[in-house]
Amino acid sequence: MSDAAATLTQDRQRLELSALSAPAVIFTVAMIAFPVVYTIWLGFQSFSSTGKQSFAGIANYSKLASDYEFWHGLWITIALYILALVLQLVFGVWLALVLFHAKRLPGIVRSMFISPFMMPPVVAGMMWLVILDPSLGAANYILQSLGLPPSEWLASPTWVIPTVALIDSWQWTPYVALIVLGGLQSLPPSVYEAAQIDGASPFKTFQRITLPLLLPTIVTAAILRSVDLLRFFDIIYITTQGGPGNASNTLNVYGFRVGFEFFNIGYASALMLTLTAIVFGAVLAFNRLRGAVAW
Amino acid sequence: MTDAPTTDRWIRYLNLLQLALAGIIILAPTVWMVLSSLKPSFEVTAYPPTLVFTPTLENYVQLMKTTPFASYAVNSLIVTIGSTSLGLLFGIPAAFAVSWTRVSWPAILTLAARMAPGTLFLLPWYVMFRQVGMIGSYTALILSHAVITLPIVIWVLLPSFDGIPRSVYEAAQVDGCSVTRILWRIALPLVGSGIAVAAILAFVFSWNYFLFALVLSNGDSKTLIAAAFNFIGEGSTQWGALMAAATLIALPPLILAALVQRWLVSGLTLGAVKG
Repeated sequence: MSDAAATLTQDRQRLELSALSAPAVIFTVAMIAFPVVYTIWLGFQSFSSTGKQSFAGIANYSKLASDYEFWHGLWITIALYILALVLQLVFGVWLALVLFHAKRLPGIVRSMFISPFMMPPVVAGMMWLVILDPSLGAANYILQSLGLPPSEWLASPTWVIPTVALIDSWQWTPYVALIVLGGLQSLPPSVYEAAQIDGASPFKTFQRITLPLLLPTIVTAAILRSVDLLRFFDIIYITTQGGPGNASNTLNVYGFRVGFEFFNIGYASALMLTLTAIVFGAVLAFNRLRGAVAW
Repeated sequence: MTDAPTTDRWIRYLNLLQLALAGIIILAPTVWMVLSSLKPSFEVTAYPPTLVFTPTLENYVQLMKTTPFASYAVNSLIVTIGSTSLGLLFGIPAAFAVSWTRVSWPAILTLAARMAPGTLFLLPWYVMFRQVGMIGSYTALILSHAVITLPIVIWVLLPSFDGIPRSVYEAAQVDGCSVTRILWRIALPLVGSGIAVAAILAFVFSWNYFLFALVLSNGDSKTLIAAAFNFIGEGSTQWGALMAAATLIALPPLILAALVQRWLVSGLTLGAVKG
């Protein structure tokens, strides 16, 4: 084949490959990139109650700084995020170790472990709403049988966020566990053998060898959960709609309500762009951490 | 060293005990949901809660009679199958091209949807779809849900395409095959199981997705997930019907996920972990 003909084939090939990814790229630009640019523009607009639109400058953003609901929502979002993330990572690592030592994992057991996070969060919300009912729910019956005081769960302004964190952890701890299990299974067996020869206790082995080697996997699980937890919406919206009062009004729930219940599209855009910046910031921070703990 | 095997056995028992405990915590709420859906209506709200009862399907019958459950289910199927097909149609060639060229930005671009809060897109979509009168249309719902399915398809398929040896492509090129022909005739049959996993995961996540249908569907196009609100609205006396609805809505994703459980976690981490 001559050089010219080879270049021709290569150009043709490159063109064909671009054409293959073009539909996905065009679709994403049309459905995401363009709307996000539009949202940025909407963030500088104000909408009157009659739907009239006018340029508002940075009014939406300066309103953010003095909006009590925004700061409250930010605090709720972060509290829920940290609580749920810690629960899921701690119990996820525990569950992974238990599964790892069980060696064989029949398909039926695996299916059982994935069932919480494969069901719609909305269904999980409906289900727990009934179980956690303050007067007739099974959860309070169990507490009382054990001689413990009953809880108001989702109906209590104090307990609603821990309760939501518990529901989400019920759904996603098995997911974290299966990711960490994958990490455990890929560790070289030689490191354990060396520790055994040195006579290290199981706890020391875990603390000094397993945990440091697992950290990159755990950080990966933390990133994947952070993205979902900071945008928390489904379970809260189906069970409390941000209540009681505003006790579970996370930023995503607040932004949704400002946009689609009060139809203040401009201010909702400013809120959502701020939340997006927080999510991307968290992912970048964790990515750096992953680089630091890599081996 | 005579007690070493005994200690080992105790550690094994302790481990099985923890496994059983975890299994009970994971399964009990779901079992309770299904049991409640099968209880006679007067027994659902009985306190203390009962474990032994005569199962009945009256809650399911009542659900079908008093709500348009079947038509919500059809809406959910149309939106989910439509968006999964669209995700596969756009995602398969894109994943192939990204794997071939090792130029990854198109795949990363689609990930943006996985990271940003859905309301960020929903606000401009709502404004735009309303202007062209598409609120409540299947088209708007399918397009918005394809934003969920596309990154799943691409990221599940990337490792599958990466696993095909280069020599296979090169041999085909010597025979004069074009790139597109290589995709359809050679690569696609080799990643069949990957496509099955991608399709099922896309289906599950599209079926489960709440936010977009909440705003973009209306009375006629309401999906099951968006209609879940109506079921709750019926009040605490209707627990039986509510749990029947919850059970039926959860059934399709749970059955599909069980089919691909072995490959599911590596698919769900978008390539970050090989499970």
